[in-house]
Amino acid sequence: MRKQSDIDNEFGQSVRHQRVTVVFIVLFVLLVFLAALNLCIGSLNVPVADLPGILAGQDAGSTNSQVIWSIRLPRLIAAALLGGALALSGFLLQTFFNNPIAGPFILGISSGAKLVVALVMILVVGGSGVMTSGMMVVSAFVGSLIAMLFVLLVSRRINSMSMLIVAGVMIGYICSAATDFLITFASDANIVNLKNWSLGSFSGINWSDIGIMTVVVIAASIAVFFLSKPIGAFQLGEQYARSMGVNIRAFRIALILLSSLLAATVTAFAGPISFVGIAVPHIVKRALGTSKPLVVIPGAFFGGAIFCLFCDLIARSVFAPTEVSISAVTAIFGAPVVISILLKREKVRR
Amino acid sequence: MDERPVYLETKDLVVGYDGVPLLSGVNIQLHAGEIMTLIGPNGAGKSTILKSIVGYLESLGGAVFISGKSVGDLTAHELSLELSVMLTERMRTELLTCADIVETGRYPYTGRLGILSDEDREKVRDAMDMVHVWDLRDRDFMQISDGQRQRILLARAIAQEPHIIMLDEPTNYLDIHYQIELLNVLRRLVRERDVAVIMSLHELPLARKVSDYVMCIKGDGVVAAGPPDEIFTPGVINELYDLEPGVFDPVSGNIKLEEERDEG
Repeated sequence: MRKQSDIDNEFGQSVRHQRVTVVFIVLFVLLVFLAALNLCIGSLNVPVADLPGILAGQDAGSTNSQVIWSIRLPRLIAAALLGGALALSGFLLQTFFNNPIAGPFILGISSGAKLVVALVMILVVGGSGVMTSGMMVVSAFVGSLIAMLFVLLVSRRINSMSMLIVAGVMIGYICSAATDFLITFASDANIVNLKNWSLGSFSGINWSDIGIMTVVVIAASIAVFFLSKPIGAFQLGEQYARSMGVNIRAFRIALILLSSLLAATVTAFAGPISFVGIAVPHIVKRALGTSKPLVVIPGAFFGGAIFCLFCDLIARSVFAPTEVSISAVTAIFGAPVVISILLKREKVRR
Repeated sequence: MDERPVYLETKDLVVGYDGVPLLSGVNIQLHAGEIMTLIGPNGAGKSTILKSIVGYLESLGGAVFISGKSVGDLTAHELSLELSVMLTERMRTELLTCADIVETGRYPYTGRLGILSDEDREKVRDAMDMVHVWDLRDRDFMQISDGQRQRILLARAIAQEPHIIMLDEPTNYLDIHYQIELLNVLRRLVRERDVAVIMSLHELPLARKVSDYVMCIKGDGVVAAGPPDEIFTPGVINELYDLEPGVFDPVSGNIKLEEERDEG
């Protein structure tokens, strides 16, 4: 005979499973819906009914088809992939620093990537070479690692969560200021692009960018997913994680490398983008009702993709034909989430 | 003399922080089915010893053997099969249920993604039943009382099914009812599962009752060690805690305040 509590347990579990399933269905529907909107809306509105045909390759010569295939589709894929990457990078940093408002932008890691990319770009373009997207990713990775190193040095000396964030913001300011100097004093025609890029935008992404981006982001995200187990242990604190058999050193290095790589890839292609890394994991955890990495990691990836598709749609359509920088839009929606996190923590403490 | 296997042994262990020795000459021999308790004044280094045994702190000399193997030769995974811990530090979690916390005890036994099998779930259930916290399973870990949290963490340590359970001040935050219950659980663990327990305790009457072996830590080392009958004598305890004679009776647990003594 089965005990009542066994039945209760199964019931509790199935309720939780149901909730996770519902959240993922909602995320999927939102993703498809926003992707369609992003493809259709713009200076040239494409009727939704025409979308399936165009995506299937019919009508290849038409203006609609060209706009979608050469401009909107790559931009859409970039926004989705990079949005997912940002959310995961944020989630990893929050885990690493045990700090709910850690993220690649706020800790200055994006700005570090930006600085080195700008530097390399000026050197390469100044020497009349061509900056490939591979070079962009590598220099961004180097930059983000350098910034990460500074943050780590600071975090060793201070234990306070808020001071860590302040230090990160300062590192971000220094890097941004240095980038601005570089841009001001370099006067090549290409620098115009550099300036646009340094504000953050998904525009001007082409298919070869998409190739590299897809490989890096998907590979890193899969690696993050396979870290679910130690991340779950680490959520109880370093010493407990160790007692469960986590190799803390290797785990920390993996977290640093993966979060920096994800943040760097975003910065290389779209410039620094604020708040996605903090807001999305937070919202996704609330929606799922758990912080278990096994579901939060895929959820955050989809959530980041949706959030960036939504913000990019606003960035390019609300004041069309003028584009707003993507960071301005993500900040408007993301910053209130950060404030709400802070308020909630204050309440818990009391 | 003792036929039972030695699960934990230290030889002339030296512990301390940042290369500065705090205690030396720590020799522990802990058998299966035995409870060893470290007592001593605040800051004497009880936690430091515990943390050095599991390698959270680098030991500054001597050796630690777990089930006969030098602790340095064990991988983190091998160590996790031998020993689980319950620490004093407050844990902050976010949106995790009590069952989620106890399930992490199965970490060493699950696969790549950490998904629990039915057998793992049963072990979690058993551990939670043993500590009487099964009813808390769906509650948020941050929204239960401190005492309940301690019991969840003990269930977590049990679910890991180690040979040795190490507890740092496990009775912190517990009222007398749950203190006694916790010690009963520990006695049952050593009796039924032949687990070895090493812990630090502040409450002397509890330590006297629950321990098979007591180690007194003070100053720069172990000042006394032995079965509770030998340790809980006025001589040893007064010396250990710098008490004047007659102020505290280690057997009855009676204390005498200044005014009472003045009257007498």
